[in-house]
Amino acid sequence: MTGITALGLPEARRNEAAAVFRARGVPHRRVEEWKYSDLKSALGEAGIGAGQADLRISHLPSGVETFDLAGPNPPDWVREYFGLASRNVMSAASLSLSAGGTAFRVPRGLAVAEPLKFEFTGSGHVRGLVVLEDGASLTLVEGVTVDKFRNAGLEIVLGEAARLDHVRVSPNAGDAVLVEEVSVRIAQGGQYRAHFAAFGSKLSRMEVEIALEGEGAEAHLSGVALLDGKRHSDVTTHVIHRTVGTRSTQLFKHVAGGHAKAVYQGKVTVAKGANGSDSNQSAKALLLGENAEADLKPELEIFADDVKCAHGAAVGDLDAESLFYLRARGIPEAEARGLLLQAFLEDAVAEIPNTDLRELVRTELLTALKALV
Amino acid sequence: MSIAAETKQQVAEIGEKYKYGFVTDIEMDMAPRGLSEDTVRFISAKKGEPEWMLEWRLGAFRRWLTMKEPNWARVHYPKIDYQNAFYYAAPKNTPLKQSLDEVDPKLLETYKKLGIPLHEQMALAGVAVDAVFDSVSVATTFKEKLNEAGVIFCPISEAIRDYPDLVKQYLGSVVPVTDNFFATLNAAVFSDGTFVYVPKGVRCPMELSTYFRINASETGQFERTIIIADEGSYVSYLEGCTAPKRDENQLHAAVVELVALDNAEIKYSTVQNWYPGDENGLGGIFNFVTKRGDCRGKKSKISWTQVETGSAITWKYPSCILRGDESVGEFYSIAIANNYQQADTGTKMIHLGANTRSRIISKGISAGKAQNTYRGLVSVYGKAKNARNYTQCDSLLIGGDCGAHTVPYIESRNPTARIEHEATTSKIAEDQLFYCLQRGIPQDEAVSLIVNGFCREVLQQLPMEFAVEAQKLVGISLEGSVG
Repeated sequence: MTGITALGLPEARRNEAAAVFRARGVPHRRVEEWKYSDLKSALGEAGIGAGQADLRISHLPSGVETFDLAGPNPPDWVREYFGLASRNVMSAASLSLSAGGTAFRVPRGLAVAEPLKFEFTGSGHVRGLVVLEDGASLTLVEGVTVDKFRNAGLEIVLGEAARLDHVRVSPNAGDAVLVEEVSVRIAQGGQYRAHFAAFGSKLSRMEVEIALEGEGAEAHLSGVALLDGKRHSDVTTHVIHRTVGTRSTQLFKHVAGGHAKAVYQGKVTVAKGANGSDSNQSAKALLLGENAEADLKPELEIFADDVKCAHGAAVGDLDAESLFYLRARGIPEAEARGLLLQAFLEDAVAEIPNTDLRELVRTELLTALKALV
Repeated sequence: MSIAAETKQQVAEIGEKYKYGFVTDIEMDMAPRGLSEDTVRFISAKKGEPEWMLEWRLGAFRRWLTMKEPNWARVHYPKIDYQNAFYYAAPKNTPLKQSLDEVDPKLLETYKKLGIPLHEQMALAGVAVDAVFDSVSVATTFKEKLNEAGVIFCPISEAIRDYPDLVKQYLGSVVPVTDNFFATLNAAVFSDGTFVYVPKGVRCPMELSTYFRINASETGQFERTIIIADEGSYVSYLEGCTAPKRDENQLHAAVVELVALDNAEIKYSTVQNWYPGDENGLGGIFNFVTKRGDCRGKKSKISWTQVETGSAITWKYPSCILRGDESVGEFYSIAIANNYQQADTGTKMIHLGANTRSRIISKGISAGKAQNTYRGLVSVYGKAKNARNYTQCDSLLIGGDCGAHTVPYIESRNPTARIEHEATTSKIAEDQLFYCLQRGIPQDEAVSLIVNGFCREVLQQLPMEFAVEAQKLVGISLEGSVG
């Protein structure tokens, strides 16, 4: 806790987070938002502990400022933005229990061409903060290292007309229990694009909360999950349209084989008066195994009347006719299934704006697909 | 006269008043205020129930004492003081009537105001009506015709006396005594309801219908309805509700259990227009209902259709357990919330058997300061090979102070299952409104017309007798919501 104390943050922020976690405890399947991801039982007796995980930078492009959250004398921008979002229970836990992590800042108007690459490592709790000032832009590439248990909290603040592309690739992490909460605040005209590729673990949960705070702010989320064995992956999103003319889209494609479990819970809130909001949500899952499970919960919460909100969700298996079409042209079954799965996932992958990153995700998917079919 | 014009006229007739907001002055036979084992014993004794029934109730009551009121729904209401209500009220002088002539003329007058002309219905519509006045059924018609077909259609208290084996077999078999807080409360204190049994291979010769009505002040009403469709039978059941105007909030916690055996079909339609409270959110019925159908047999079918326009609070999820192979579940719903009404309603489709199919069409309309939530679950279990579901839930918002929410849960554990879900939220399109206004249709009528169009898929599912009333209700419920 030294880090946060050292920051000289108002004690209130930390106390508030600690109180939230104390009141709610480690979530389990009887907690509605955690119905499909029983963290308590996945962790067993060890619980969440108070260990310290870390944030490791693998490539820092020039122009991006950093600050070690464990260090003394934080700059004003860290004081201003760090630790403001502690709404969900695990984020509250990481805020109150983490001592370290890293904060990044891209100054006003700077467009950083090279991607910033980092990963959360180690076991325990950790925080990250990314601040893009007005007009700045950045591509964030997040890797995930495998460890026993990690709870990472990442806060993102986008100034006016700032633009952040975020790609996260979470590899097959075996027995790991990995929880990450991303909280994004977007000012007028700001844009956040994120893609989450997940290959699952004993329990993996990516929880994203996005507040579209300024007029014309946009968030575009997409993701794929490709799971086998007894792996689990949960993407939980909450997009809040706070003001007029905000837009959000979500497109998630999940494939589960074996005994795997793919979860998508997406909630879109349109606040009172946020007229002209436009939101579209689509989540589709394919089940390949007799014992696989897909759970989808696309939720709408609307308090304004002049809005366009839609969601669609579907679960099924591969289309028999398409499979027949390929088989009739002499393509072996396994290959044909692989092709169809690839096509199914492609829509979501195509959402990644950066060509290199898109190729990276495609390659990862192809490797995993070969093992699956 | 067009429906819209008719709606307008009807609204004009009503003026500012709720049409059914009157009280019939009939001497009541009340249980003492409050809820205890003595209340349960009092009700059971009043109904002249056998020992096993009393034990069943007491078991439920003891269980209820250990339960907590659920708070997950998107409805807010002042805490209900369960000890400050009456749990039993029956009109006095209720020996069973042989014909309508013996029925208290005041009661008949009440029904007339409600628009249930028993005599006319007998002659014209061919509908048998089992009218529940508060808690005791007072008139049952068309008994003979149903007898011929072997259909049992009677108050549940009568069924407990005359068909104890059937009741014992099915009571609590779909909605267990311990199912939820309100269902358990109902099990302890239910005072009446309807029992229907359609024997093997019989197509019920007429639509069955019951009108529920809450009359005495401060009395909750707890009906229990059981409908059993034996192999190869068919029955269509209509339920309509109105309640007089009161300032205190009245609690209503009903339980409906449907059982469809092999090749049987049950169609259950509801029009609920209980007192929704006034334009300031004062008064109105709290409606906490547990309705569930069990497609127990192969190729059985249960279809729920509901038009929910009333109640201050609606908490209701008519569900289907698709147990039998190739069974079918349907849910068609219109929920309208205006002023300060809060509706949290939807369905559950539980696919257990192979080749089971379900279809959900939900239309939610919010106006004024109302909150309207669709909450649903489609769950496909591992053995439900080739299960299919299609869900469509659309919300319409009228005005910027209301809310429309959608909370669907979709769970699949079988790779051959196919589930599709679509939802949209919109307001009345300006171009549609403009089109109507341009052709000289006044605004209120235009809204009624557009909303009726929005609901059409569901209205079409209603039996004819209800469809007309329901269309009018849609218009009346939204009166004054567009300014």
